[in-house]
Amino acid sequence: MPQLTAIITGASEGLGKAFAIELGKRSINLVLVSLPGTGLDNLAKYIRKNFEVRVDVIELDLTNSESHQQIFAYLTQQQLTAYILINNAGIGNWDWFIDNNTAFYKKQIDLNVTIPVLLTRLFLGQVDTSTTSYILNVGSMGGRFVVPRKQVYGASKAFINYFTKCMQLELLGTNVKMSLLSPGGINTKPELLVINQQLKGIAKATILEAEDVARIAIDGLFKGKKEIIPGAANKLLVILNGILPGFIKGAIIKGKLKEHGK
Amino acid sequence: MKVYFNYFRLTVCYNPIRTNNFHLTQDKPIFTYMNILVTGATGFIGRQLCFTLANKGYNVKALCRNIHHPYLIKHANIEPIKGDILDTDSLLNAMQGCTQVYHTAAMAKMWCRNQDDFLETNVTGTRNVLQAAQKAGVKRIVYTSTCGVWGPTLKYPLTEEEPRIVGFPIAYERTKYLAELEVNKFVQQGMDVITVNPSRVFGEGPITDSNTVSKMISGYLKGKWRIIPGDGGQISNYSYLDDVVDGHIAAMEKGLTGNRYILGGEDVSFNEFFSTLEQVSGVQRNMVRVPQKVIKFYSHIEALKTKLTGLTPVFLPEFADRLKFNQKYSSQKAVEQLGYKITPFTEAMRKTVDYLKAN
Repeated sequence: MPQLTAIITGASEGLGKAFAIELGKRSINLVLVSLPGTGLDNLAKYIRKNFEVRVDVIELDLTNSESHQQIFAYLTQQQLTAYILINNAGIGNWDWFIDNNTAFYKKQIDLNVTIPVLLTRLFLGQVDTSTTSYILNVGSMGGRFVVPRKQVYGASKAFINYFTKCMQLELLGTNVKMSLLSPGGINTKPELLVINQQLKGIAKATILEAEDVARIAIDGLFKGKKEIIPGAANKLLVILNGILPGFIKGAIIKGKLKEHGK
Repeated sequence: MKVYFNYFRLTVCYNPIRTNNFHLTQDKPIFTYMNILVTGATGFIGRQLCFTLANKGYNVKALCRNIHHPYLIKHANIEPIKGDILDTDSLLNAMQGCTQVYHTAAMAKMWCRNQDDFLETNVTGTRNVLQAAQKAGVKRIVYTSTCGVWGPTLKYPLTEEEPRIVGFPIAYERTKYLAELEVNKFVQQGMDVITVNPSRVFGEGPITDSNTVSKMISGYLKGKWRIIPGDGGQISNYSYLDDVVDGHIAAMEKGLTGNRYILGGEDVSFNEFFSTLEQVSGVQRNMVRVPQKVIKFYSHIEALKTKLTGLTPVFLPEFADRLKFNQKYSSQKAVEQLGYKITPFTEAMRKTVDYLKAN
């Protein structure tokens, strides 16, 4: 089997970094994409040293107009074909809608919605049909639940949800598999480490470590799973979401909001 | 040693940063004793650091919550100061006239009844110390972090620039990482802080809660510790207390602002650890190798016990998971930039065993 190459966006931290390490462990070459000055070179060096794979680094701001083109231009120039695309980069938010400015929402929608669509299009344009290729879109449990203060983030993930499910139908019978990853909370950023530490019970059980989510996601991707929901508590929530009446869900969310308002 | 000591009492302090040179002709002698504050003065590292600094002739202000604490070392140059890193007034008071601060105080246990204690002591406490130092005009601070901010490693010994590869399920590691972010904020504001990251420290000193290696050694000597986790092949880095203390002082003298320095020792597997221990102590024990999965299972029972009864757990699942990884660290940067020296593991073990047998 030839050594495969994977593109990971938002690879410098959190889940993206965990994807890079997980794929490195599985001897897959990497093209890591992230903002400049986020320590991508150190991560790349570390993965090369420990897993003996090829790691290329592309530092750019994906929301700059033509930067998505640069990734594939680089691949062509290096005569590389990508077999895996992980659309991971994204911007979250946990604020009232009025508290962010228009530039923030523009960037958030560009990164969470526009970029995955464009990269998927470019990726499909270069796949080698003789081998199975994979696309993993990072959605969120937030794409299923209507949660205030997650308005644009949740909507962007709902977009990814629809896009992925629709593309799965279009890709039937081809050698390209697309999976949707719908994680709950992940212990990534420092501020989340503090908030998540205070959680108890089922809320605590929905929070997973990035390396576990990455491992489960890659397993699911290679198995061709349509949707990957890591963690038993999250699976339970999805089932409950399907059967609970709307007014109960509404009451739970209102209760949660009050807690956070404290 | 005595002459050297007296000599110091007479001369001391020329240049606040480079006091360790004992030439009278050096720079412009100002003939005052430099005041240095050490937080966590009753801790395993802190107490030894106080002692070494005091022997070098510095005026050491030893911050502790209980000035009659049995672990506090009595010395003419050590002045116990009652205070708490969670009490900002006491910090400000303790730092008056201090040129340097070593912040070694931390919550370094496996488990606390109140999980928030880790955050309070390690993060808020560090912020308090740095804020007080800023106000009191302290020139330089050495902050004691841990190799736990990186945690598990893969094939090769890890260096300072390399990334952490897992999350932060262990409260101590999580809060020490958050504390490093606090330190970075103060460095960006122009404060002169250097971070040191010791690995698993052992040596001559009391067996405290944080000192798991000494616990293991003394348990072995008494015949109470009989297990080797997994197949014994898991490798960890063990640093010798005296090396770590010297590393702190070298970081204060030569460290680059805002930098981190791993202060480690040799990378040693559990098997090598116990065979060295057997060899230097002459004590032979039949050790049982317990598979990681059994330890993990047992740790869940312990976690449940703690949840139901509030009793201190012997072991927790997040620590059992760690037995699947190595924890190998490279002290190369400290060796090159600070002149850090590593005592051979066997020698360090011999000194520790001799100490534990005598005490």
